Amino acid sequence: MLNMRKYKHIVPFWPFVVLLAFGFVNESIGQGLQDEELLKDVSANDIQEVISSYKGDKAVLINVWATWCAPCIEEFPHIVELQQKYEDDLHVVFVSADFPKQREKALEFLRAQNVDWPTYFKTGKDQPFIEALSDDWSGALPFTKILNNDGAVVASWEQGAGYEKFERFTKKAINN
Amino acid sequence: MKIRKLVYVLLILIATGLLAFLPVEDKPADRLDIGDKAPLADVEVTDVSGEKLTLAEVADENGLLVNFSCNTCPWVKAWEDRYNPIANLAEKNDIGVIMLNPNAAIRDDGESMQDMQARAKSSNYDFYYALDEKAKLAEAFGATRTPDIFLFNNDMELVYTGAIDDNAKSAQDVDQQFLKNAIQNLVAGKEINPQTTKALGCTIKWPK
Repeated sequence: MLNMRKYKHIVPFWPFVVLLAFGFVNESIGQGLQDEELLKDVSANDIQEVISSYKGDKAVLINVWATWCAPCIEEFPHIVELQQKYEDDLHVVFVSADFPKQREKALEFLRAQNVDWPTYFKTGKDQPFIEALSDDWSGALPFTKILNNDGAVVASWEQGAGYEKFERFTKKAINN
Repeated sequence: MKIRKLVYVLLILIATGLLAFLPVEDKPADRLDIGDKAPLADVEVTDVSGEKLTLAEVADENGLLVNFSCNTCPWVKAWEDRYNPIANLAEKNDIGVIMLNPNAAIRDDGESMQDMQARAKSSNYDFYYALDEKAKLAEAFGATRTPDIFLFNNDMELVYTGAIDDNAKSAQDVDQQFLKNAIQNLVAGKEINPQTTKALGCTIKWPK
């Protein structure tokens, strides 16, 4: 039987103990994502569902990247920063288009970039996947598409971009 | 008269305001459509051998195959085992073959003529590999990525564009040999279907 008297001297500190414990749990939700949660397989059909699940709730920024793609790696931290800054209004959907043998490398990169929300790993043929994301996407990486709360396209582009461009269209999507 | 002017001004203002709500799409440059003529066919490019060429000169009796490719893209590497077999098939069927390197922004980072020469040698390229120095041809074609395929008939009209096949990772696991079928159907005078396809690839590194 636990002798509570033994611990009575810490009673005044209980709120802090509880808060500290909650902090640890909260922290573990992000940093502790299992590999299969941090990088989930996704098909052309599934990615549509993922994107539409945010309709009416948040703006969505979809970014297709790969570990070996220099402009993708260069712009990646800007998008992470954007997600952190606009976490209440924006959801970033990262999709890795790495080849399967580079999956581990993609996971390492996501962890190094402090990505603490689920992201996706493209599976299946290229063409249906490209068409599922945009008619205007030729297939070149990186690719970014930003939707407003209603799911309407605010902007989409191939090639890398700087923070200002991402933020400008994100603000437009949020305010639309 | 004043009222009419006011109405015009108001209409212009409303139209301008509505434009602000249009989605912004940074579309790739206009890509050649099926049936379009090969552009800049008389512009000289330099092959890895040092030879000066034009697309018109490379074209053979039954047409021309142009592949925008490079040295540094993993997708090029993934598809590269199909480069020589496709080129051999095309040349056997009297279709000229040329590969163009448009990555002007990173000439000092793996995409110089010297790098191209080394790649052509190490990969035993069996076809012309020429420098699209300022990416002018890529721009005129509306190419967007590497590799990016354009197949022309004997009138230099586009008959197929897009991907080599539907599986970059493995030649053994290809379901649809888009380009091989297009070449065979072009030569046989049969319908080419599909005429356009898409695949993932590296963005062209355009000159800054």
